[in-house]
Amino acid sequence: MNNNLVSTSMEKSFGKSLLYTLPMFLITFIFISGGKVDFSNLPAALAIVVTFLFMNILYFMMHYTGKTDKFRVILFIIFALSLSFTLIKNMMEMRHSMSFSQADLLECKIPFCHLVIPMMIIPAAFTKSIIFPGSVIGGFADISSMIILWLVATLVLGRGFCAWGCFYGGWDDGFSRFRKKSVIKKISESWRWMPFAVLFMVALTAAMTLGPTYCDWICPFKAVTEFEQISSVESVAKAVVFISLFLSLVVVLPVLTKKRTQCSFLCPMGAVNSLSNKITPFVVKIDKKACSECFKCVQVCPLFALTKEDVKNGKASVFCSKCGKCVDVCSKNAIHFGIKGVPAGTMKNFSRNLFLFVSFLFISVFSAGSIINAVQSIFKLLF
Amino acid sequence: MFLDILFMVDSFILGLSTGSACLLTCGMVMFPYLLAGSADVWRITADLSIFFLTRLTVYFLLATASWYFGQVLFMNPVVKSIVPGILYIVFAVMLIWYSISRKRQLQCPSGFVTTIDNRRLIPILLGVVNSIGFCPALFIILTKGASESTLVQSYKAFLAFFIGSSLWFLPLPLAGKIRKKKVLQTIGILATGLAGIIFIIKGITSLIGGLINE
Amino acid sequence: MKKLKMITGITWAFAGLILMFILFPGMNNLSMSVSKLPFMKINPNYNGGVVAKQIVEASCTLDIRKPVFDGLLKERKSGFVQIDWRGTVPDNIVDTIDYDLDEIPDFTITIDRIKSTTSINAMSSKVLNIGVSTPTSYGWAVRVNLKK
Repeated sequence: MNNNLVSTSMEKSFGKSLLYTLPMFLITFIFISGGKVDFSNLPAALAIVVTFLFMNILYFMMHYTGKTDKFRVILFIIFALSLSFTLIKNMMEMRHSMSFSQADLLECKIPFCHLVIPMMIIPAAFTKSIIFPGSVIGGFADISSMIILWLVATLVLGRGFCAWGCFYGGWDDGFSRFRKKSVIKKISESWRWMPFAVLFMVALTAAMTLGPTYCDWICPFKAVTEFEQISSVESVAKAVVFISLFLSLVVVLPVLTKKRTQCSFLCPMGAVNSLSNKITPFVVKIDKKACSECFKCVQVCPLFALTKEDVKNGKASVFCSKCGKCVDVCSKNAIHFGIKGVPAGTMKNFSRNLFLFVSFLFISVFSAGSIINAVQSIFKLLF
Repeated sequence: MFLDILFMVDSFILGLSTGSACLLTCGMVMFPYLLAGSADVWRITADLSIFFLTRLTVYFLLATASWYFGQVLFMNPVVKSIVPGILYIVFAVMLIWYSISRKRQLQCPSGFVTTIDNRRLIPILLGVVNSIGFCPALFIILTKGASESTLVQSYKAFLAFFIGSSLWFLPLPLAGKIRKKKVLQTIGILATGLAGIIFIIKGITSLIGGLINE
Repeated sequence: MKKLKMITGITWAFAGLILMFILFPGMNNLSMSVSKLPFMKINPNYNGGVVAKQIVEASCTLDIRKPVFDGLLKERKSGFVQIDWRGTVPDNIVDTIDYDLDEIPDFTITIDRIKSTTSINAMSSKVLNIGVSTPTSYGWAVRVNLKK
């Protein structure tokens, strides 16, 4: 069979792709702009229009070319970069520094992120309180909004949150694409259970100390967001840990392995999202009849979610983030987005269209604010 | 502040993290023997109680011995800070190595006990061998016992370690039904390695404290 | 059975789609509901605890908060008390504090806001040292470490 013909079976004609993009076009327009664009503030209006058009072009291309990951990753990386940019810019404007002060801690002004959620569950159950110096409601990245966002995303997308929603994942996803071939090829499968061990330890230590251990001592993304003011030996030690983990797990190892090593070996949220993969409606399925067992999908999977055994068994493991890299690379179209309960190899187009709509809607609306902010800043800088 | 609280509960965390791996290597050996024969609920409870009591007794003996040696060997306060600091780092590195090494032994050291032809002795011997199985975690807790200033504190450290590791043994009768034994074992071993990092930090803190006071 | 599984799966997938539709427009209402859950309040170790006594002066207000010893299951042996000066805070502060409200002074705190120095004179054996002393958006805040 002609490889090219098979690989493009998810492709659509120009008109059909446009038709599929239309609902996303309208919905994102309403959600992002609130239904109207105020051209009295030209840079802001242009930023909204550019972001909105850019996102919808990506969505159109997903339908037109039949490729998912190729276009998802562009938005994913831009989301990560723009969020860090927006956060750093806000901090520089408000505090003239990337670090937060003792006063910010005392006044509970620290932005909340989803990585705190696994640590706050046990203390919330026992002390009926949140162990984080943030705002419960109102203000930038408040606790209630972030919990709702994560909860809905993880319920619907499962670990798909790690490929379609996490505003940190774009960093190591980006670095994992730097080289054409990996330098380090053999990594033991046992390591993919590391996030569960990290989750166990951070949940335990957070409960014992009533402090968000991961944020305080481990989170590599402190290096590109905000961290504690350097005022003691302890804060120096923390900064060293943040920077070393960022350089090793987010930059160097992804470049050398072509894998998302921070997400695969460290992130406790990844472990929680893997568990939620058990209930989510969307899955990646393998049609064993069509599979030629070339194992290209195993090779390209950025999260060690596919092993040869998984392919032979016909389903991706709980680690799957539904990024679509394996789907894009499969020349036989055997691996595809599916819906739980629907047999592999059937309703491929329907499942993909529905999954793409849901996941793209989430990432586009969730990322819009920070991307618009970053684009607006670039416009202001240029003009 | 965070480190102070963390070091207060480090024995419990060490026990809890090593306990999971310990249960899944030794639990499978112990389980059939604890439940063999005409085992009713009372017999199982009695055997498990004897096993726990033996472990606790052995730990208290070890707490006393380690504290005594600590008092004799670390008379100088600077030495009392530097030597345990070095020992913590060495044993913690061993613990991490154990967790990442592919050649680690995954067989229960107390397996031979179950071959003894005396049913009543088995829970006691299992408790003894299980407590003194020479692993890096035990060396760490012995170091902690030796560096404590009072015997009561040494007892507290061993008690916390005992409680942490024993929690995993409570659902022992269910151990045979665990479907994903290999996965849980892997997570337990990796968590043990992470507990080692806490003791490296503790060792460095102790070492720096000792060097500053020198 | 296969058909039932299929229908359930597809229904669940469409429910996901609806959830996603509701999420962003309903964000304010949803997060407001979450914020009302019983555990949705900041732990006293972070927000400093509730105000136990307020002393109002001409230009500034002094808040003495309830001492915080909160642990997971029981109170800890060590904790802190937070004192806040709100309003127009003078450059030099000297205040004697009775944090346990037993009408016996526990410590005197001296702050030089210009030099950013803080010192404490403990009058109770339960008072350890200064944990935090910092300017805030509302004035100045100090956390004094305590033991039980």
